[in-house]
Amino acid sequence: MVRQKGEFQIRWKTDLPYRWAIGKLAVKYFEELKKRKIMGSKCPKCGKMYMPPRGVCADCFVEMTVDDMVELSRKGTLMGFTVVNYPFVDPNTGAMRPFPYGYVICQLDGADTYLMHFCDEIDHTKFKIGQRVEAVFCDELPKDHESYRPELKGDIYDIPFIRLLKDEEV
Amino acid sequence: MPKHDVAIVGIGQTKFRSKRRDVNIPEMIYEAVKAALDDANLEIKDIDALLIGNMDHFEGINFSELWTGIDACGFYLKPVVKIATGGTTGSSLGISGYYNIASGIYDKVLVVGWEKLNEGGATTGIITAFDPVWERPSLAGALGPLALMANIYASKYGIERSMEASADVVVKNRSNAANNEFAHLQMPNITTDFVMSSQMISYPLRLHDCCPQSEGACAVIYANENEAKKITDNPAWFKGVSTAHYYTFGCDDIMYNLPTATIASKKIYKKVGIKDPIKDLDVAEIYEPTSWAELAWTEALGFCDFGKGHTLLDEGISKMGGEMPVNPSGGVLSTNPIGATALVRFAEAAIQIMGRGGKRQVPDAEVAMGMGFGGSLWTELCILGKDPKPVR
Amino acid sequence: MSDDKRVFEGRIKVPYKHTAGAYVEKFLTEIGQNRKIMGVKCPKCKKVFVPPKMVCFECFEKMEEWVEVGNQGTLKGFTVVTHKTDVMPLKPPFAYGIIRLDGADTDIVHLIKESDPNKLKAGMRVEASFYAKPRKRILDIEYFKPI
Repeated sequence: MVRQKGEFQIRWKTDLPYRWAIGKLAVKYFEELKKRKIMGSKCPKCGKMYMPPRGVCADCFVEMTVDDMVELSRKGTLMGFTVVNYPFVDPNTGAMRPFPYGYVICQLDGADTYLMHFCDEIDHTKFKIGQRVEAVFCDELPKDHESYRPELKGDIYDIPFIRLLKDEEV
Repeated sequence: MPKHDVAIVGIGQTKFRSKRRDVNIPEMIYEAVKAALDDANLEIKDIDALLIGNMDHFEGINFSELWTGIDACGFYLKPVVKIATGGTTGSSLGISGYYNIASGIYDKVLVVGWEKLNEGGATTGIITAFDPVWERPSLAGALGPLALMANIYASKYGIERSMEASADVVVKNRSNAANNEFAHLQMPNITTDFVMSSQMISYPLRLHDCCPQSEGACAVIYANENEAKKITDNPAWFKGVSTAHYYTFGCDDIMYNLPTATIASKKIYKKVGIKDPIKDLDVAEIYEPTSWAELAWTEALGFCDFGKGHTLLDEGISKMGGEMPVNPSGGVLSTNPIGATALVRFAEAAIQIMGRGGKRQVPDAEVAMGMGFGGSLWTELCILGKDPKPVR
Repeated sequence: MSDDKRVFEGRIKVPYKHTAGAYVEKFLTEIGQNRKIMGVKCPKCKKVFVPPKMVCFECFEKMEEWVEVGNQGTLKGFTVVTHKTDVMPLKPPFAYGIIRLDGADTDIVHLIKESDPNKLKAGMRVEASFYAKPRKRILDIEYFKPI
């Protein structure tokens, strides 16, 4: 029998629940975050400051513990920016991620690594590499803001995004 | 030290397309495997081991070696290993194929990379590869970070000039793709203006600054020196391989200048005796997921000084007919079936050495580089040639 | 977030499209439209594969000859599922069987409509029961029942 051209597709959606152990340093990070402190971890050998904090310095292969955690500034410097303007399914929710959204890489004062996060600015002409930025806490937002929460809970939504600091704020 | 010399003796590729709704996963892979066996005039029983890879979460089929090892490759009751390392999957496969032969464990191995991206989606799949606590909430697949890196690179060297030079890369590679029947995007009449007026999808990247999502498979047969001469009198020999892996988080470094490419290339140049890549290499197949990346990667590979990537184009060096063409196949900007992509770089480098490139052939190519990029900005390289010896 | 601060609870939710291929499509279409179970025969070793696939993995030959196999077959083994989870196709108790259809050289695993292990026996005969409204799914063979 001659093979026919097949076009048949089966569609399905995975929906899998997970429970990820986040590790001792991240537990400490979120405990401190609730107190409005942003903590990194400092390698006891080379002194490199990691944010997010983690258990091993990859450069030295030396262990870092909660005792090596140090507070960083909530302010930092903008290294790069983009405005995400394309559709895709967010695997965290199974729905389309709303776009456009600002997306930045910045360095918090005191950190040797960088942070990639949302930014509340979506006009690419408003960003300037090297400008000052600040991590925003959810309880400081106007009450009608979609990311507003009345208090910090010690989870990733405590800092919903990074904002660009205006010249007069620096 | 390697116990054996290693050669590529057979290559099979599917024609890469945005959708292959006529075949399921094993059926699609079989096309490439059969083509590689026919190319080497071998049967599947002649092959000792199979290395196969893709990124399972792109298709939502886990344990893909079960799906593909037996039905697609006929590896019934024989050794199969699956490898998945993100964008570098194909080069990890290609380098592992080298290790398997060089170590003397096997005489002939089949190396297969594949992806069927329209069945899931690269952006969604890539997000699941990253840290659920720190990175997934804001990560927009690979393009978000690549756009950030593009922004840093372009700002450093002048944004307008950089993005225009980047558009020239797209024109070069997609024009080259028109010479390659396997390439996905066939746009022979593309212009710089067309690229620079396409939709802005993640500033400063426009639609045509980005690679497509492709479906297809690539199969490559490796053999040691004893077997290779029985199969072909014109194999492509490995002169060396090199790999450099980097940090855990995508934001641990500002990696617009791809430090892993500098580290990996210095290692392989030393091993292979390369002093001036432009003079010592005849052709390179590099993994450029976006337009500006070819500028930055060629700088990091030492083809030119940092910030001078555009001169390779301006002076015609990286174009067909130039001193060292880059991506005669059309590159990743024309074809990106992720698990196969880096293996296609190795395969296309081998095709150039074997002199079988047809319209995309670089005349008298004797030394060729293949590059894989991916993971957390990792680089994996091979240098192939007419013989396994260092160039000097 | 979990009450346990050491754990981050999340999900992976992704939509997929799986291209079934012409062989699987024909297999499902014949079941749905004609109540026939079809296999493919290897031109070299003559083995009949059910469900069908393009390549005989032992001979590495492309298979193109379709053959109808019986709607009846032999139960080679079974288990009765009594433990309940969220992902069951039927409410426990129910049985899974390994079935060799008449004329096939491969086995399929499918549901058995008999939940009393005392009434099931390896070697017994079973017959396919088809779903009234076919949806191009393997469960268009709704279950097998002992004859």
